Amino acid sequence: MNTSLKGNWLLVLAMSLMSAPLVIMYGFQLIDSISRPAPGGIIPQEWELTNWRFLWEPIDSARPSIWRVTFNTFVFASSTALLVCAFSITAAYALSRLNFPARRFFLAGLIMLHAFPTITLIIAIFIVLQFLGLYDSLMGVILVKAALELPFGIWIMKGFYDSVPWEIEMAGVQDGASRFRVWRELILPQVKPGLLALLIFSFLAGWSEFILPLVLAPGADAQVLATYMNAVIADDTRPDYGLFKAIGMFYALPVIAIYLLFQKRLMNIYGGGTKG
Amino acid sequence: MNRQTLLGLSFISPALLAVVMFFLLPVVLTVVFAFTNMSTSTGILGGEYQISESDLRRLPAAGVSDEVAEMLTGAGYAVRPETLALFAADFGKDRADEFDTLHGGATFNDRRAMERALKDLRGDPIRVVRERKAAAELFRVSILGQRYPTEAEFQTAIRELGIPEADHAALTKAAYTGWTFTTQNFELLWELPATWRYALNSTIYVVLTLAFNVGFGLFLAFSTFYLPTRTAQTFRAIWFLPRILPPVLYVVMWQWLTWDQGFISAILRPFGIEPINWMRHTATHAWTFIVLINGCVGASLGMILFSSSLRAIPETHLFAAQVDGANRWQQVRFVLLPQMRWPILFITSYQTLSLLTSFEYILLATDGGPGRQTEVWALAAYHTALSNYGGNLEYGLGAAYALALVIIGILLSALYLRFFNFRDLVAKPRIEQ
Repeated sequence: MNTSLKGNWLLVLAMSLMSAPLVIMYGFQLIDSISRPAPGGIIPQEWELTNWRFLWEPIDSARPSIWRVTFNTFVFASSTALLVCAFSITAAYALSRLNFPARRFFLAGLIMLHAFPTITLIIAIFIVLQFLGLYDSLMGVILVKAALELPFGIWIMKGFYDSVPWEIEMAGVQDGASRFRVWRELILPQVKPGLLALLIFSFLAGWSEFILPLVLAPGADAQVLATYMNAVIADDTRPDYGLFKAIGMFYALPVIAIYLLFQKRLMNIYGGGTKG
Repeated sequence: MNRQTLLGLSFISPALLAVVMFFLLPVVLTVVFAFTNMSTSTGILGGEYQISESDLRRLPAAGVSDEVAEMLTGAGYAVRPETLALFAADFGKDRADEFDTLHGGATFNDRRAMERALKDLRGDPIRVVRERKAAAELFRVSILGQRYPTEAEFQTAIRELGIPEADHAALTKAAYTGWTFTTQNFELLWELPATWRYALNSTIYVVLTLAFNVGFGLFLAFSTFYLPTRTAQTFRAIWFLPRILPPVLYVVMWQWLTWDQGFISAILRPFGIEPINWMRHTATHAWTFIVLINGCVGASLGMILFSSSLRAIPETHLFAAQVDGANRWQQVRFVLLPQMRWPILFITSYQTLSLLTSFEYILLATDGGPGRQTEVWALAAYHTALSNYGGNLEYGLGAAYALALVIIGILLSALYLRFFNFRDLVAKPRIEQ
């Protein structure tokens, strides 16, 4: 099979042309955040950091400080990730390895929930949160996001448990350990890499989430970076893409860092992803 | 109950609780709300009882007799022992007695007439206009515009007005400001031409985006399959980024690319092409970019899945084809593609459902515009119930929109269940204790 660059120049050219719009967008995302283009043009005129002013001064009076919003986003994403992981490691183990009544039913339910488009429930969830008094609070969005990510988390974790050899468990039980002890001391260490991947994935999902905070916590107190950025864009009468891109850069930095660090693991888990 | 059962159930119960709270309950509630007229004006928790001026016209239609409607309209103010007692408490007994002799038993239609009557007091006139207004208010017997928190209070009020018993039920029902059960939403959905437009938009959106996702995903997977590892990795990284970038930022990049002083306009200007907003200029422009924006995210999912199933195909098949003299196109068409049937079917069924119900990227990119030409069904549900410029959010109608999607979601995900080899999946655990 010919996989040399020379023999495939036509293919490389075609791929490069098709990738050009994306590459241009990524490139200018970086350039525009630290420069000022000529009026009406796109070539950078002057390198400057004024687009990053939102970091040290509020961009307008009614807006909460970026650090407060970043803190909210961090709390939102990490609480969601921890909740998803905590609920998934037990539930997935039960579904993968334990005998209990109605297990078949739960499994069928899990597969359906995994495919079910949760976003359709948002109107009802909005009203449920109002009933519970959790509307417009970070707590409410965290619970909802964690619950909606849960079927996916259980599904992924179940896959990891399924790949642990039965012999490990058999050996533990033969030696007289309880199933709980076997799970904690023998099986959990085996699925640790999977758990880490799920943790990272759920964190990223929370970090990027837009619709849930937009609908369920529109107030300034519970604002996260996604809704903050959207509000800055929506309130601007004349688009200031330099500012938008600098905020976007700040917002995306953790995502890009995590991606570069955990690329391999994430590719794996995104294969089973639900987005778009 | 043995210990394994106990462990199993306790391990699964936290997740189960979350599922009941945020899946099952919302599904049931979506059905319930779809049959109500719940909106911002009715509130969510229940309402009060109130007949306002503007309600009067619709009363006869609600089954209230014309006389009652008239009784509610006229007789806003009355000089009666009860109202005189109130007057006496604030303005003194002498004035009340004098007013009783002057106007005892009289009724007045509006406040102006009532205030004029109060001017007739000679013994100790009320000179300050503000006080006269306050005094007039004491004679008010009309229930128009009054709020009654409970049904009992409202019924007491209409009984005091002397409304015939026969009309009480209909009037109480008409006065209720909270939400009630109704099938109106579905009739409205059926009748509105916009509904059909949204359904058509959703179809266009799903078909075009899906075609792009699958077609382009396959192209990316095959191309990177034939390229040297390094180059392939670079291209995969470029196409994977849209998936992990936050949607708000990702769409801003596209907005910058397409706005009237953005990249496309800037590079086309030297060729004499007027700068326009390439994303919102016409419906065709909008659809093109919506498909591209969603497609670049969706194609990466196809790319990842297709690439991994391509790697699973034994290389010997390809070698055999090469020995037989098959060119690259023939290899793809007759050797590789037939083995990709399952992943293609999987992506198609999976993304049909998620595209049908997702509206995040459209909301951020065009918000349904220009006009409402890219408003898909899911976005219409969102706009109706959760965000509109009118300010009155119609939860009931929005839930009716959402209900259609929930039903499709349940049906398709049940179908999806059949795709999996379910028997393998539910194989009994091997330790029985």
